[in-house]
Amino acid sequence: MDDFGLHVSKVPLLCDNTSAINLTKSQIQHSRTKHIEIRHHFIRDVSNGDCEVKFIETEKQLADIFTKPLPKDKFFLLRNELGIVDSQNLS
Amino acid sequence: MSIKVLQTFEMENCKAVTTPMSTSYYMSIDEAGTAVEQTKYRGLIGFLLYLTASRPDIMFVVCLCARFQSSPRESHFKAAKRSLKYLKRTTFVGLWYPSHSPIHLVGYSDSDFVGCKLDRKRTSGTCHLLGSSLISWHNKRQACVALSMIETEYIAARSCCA
Repeated sequence: MDDFGLHVSKVPLLCDNTSAINLTKSQIQHSRTKHIEIRHHFIRDVSNGDCEVKFIETEKQLADIFTKPLPKDKFFLLRNELGIVDSQNLS
Repeated sequence: MSIKVLQTFEMENCKAVTTPMSTSYYMSIDEAGTAVEQTKYRGLIGFLLYLTASRPDIMFVVCLCARFQSSPRESHFKAAKRSLKYLKRTTFVGLWYPSHSPIHLVGYSDSDFVGCKLDRKRTSGTCHLLGSSLISWHNKRQACVALSMIETEYIAARSCCA
């Protein structure tokens, strides 16, 4: 992106689980975390440099639409937030 | 394109629905159900997968239906056809990229709570937004059986930055 003259320093990565966020920040080994495959710990390397894992409320979590079937209102809300709109309503 | 899909599956006059999938419906392997011709089912999945390139809203249901391609049943076909009913209602819906949006990259990562009861694997979903426009998204069933919610969210976060 530097080629376009855009300098992105730290990309916020929004996650709705505080425990998972804490896990990315500390190097502590815990009995429950020792089974996690090593390749998933890649995020620990990245979270100190290129991106930053932050918390977001479940209501504002836009990736919800990709993981579970949602009721009508929530579905419409997230769909609009993601910029998926009806072309007939635009003009 | 979605009109063509509706014509191919003779669904032009179907009832339109507002969401691509019902919240109460749980998709199982359904061994007792009547088998559907595999070619037909795969054809439909192929059409829908093509559409996900511009329609991320049907991404979840298409990925879910695609898991049952090896032995499709009537119930799976019905669920896939429900997304066609949704497409009928939202034929002119698409991604909108405004010209004056701020350049600010944000990533979102999320996971579900044991979406696939068959093998206890969970699904992770991630998306990236540049300003207010969606630039990348993905939905994947996790490769390993996660033992806790923390682990799934952790894996989802990893797949978001990788």
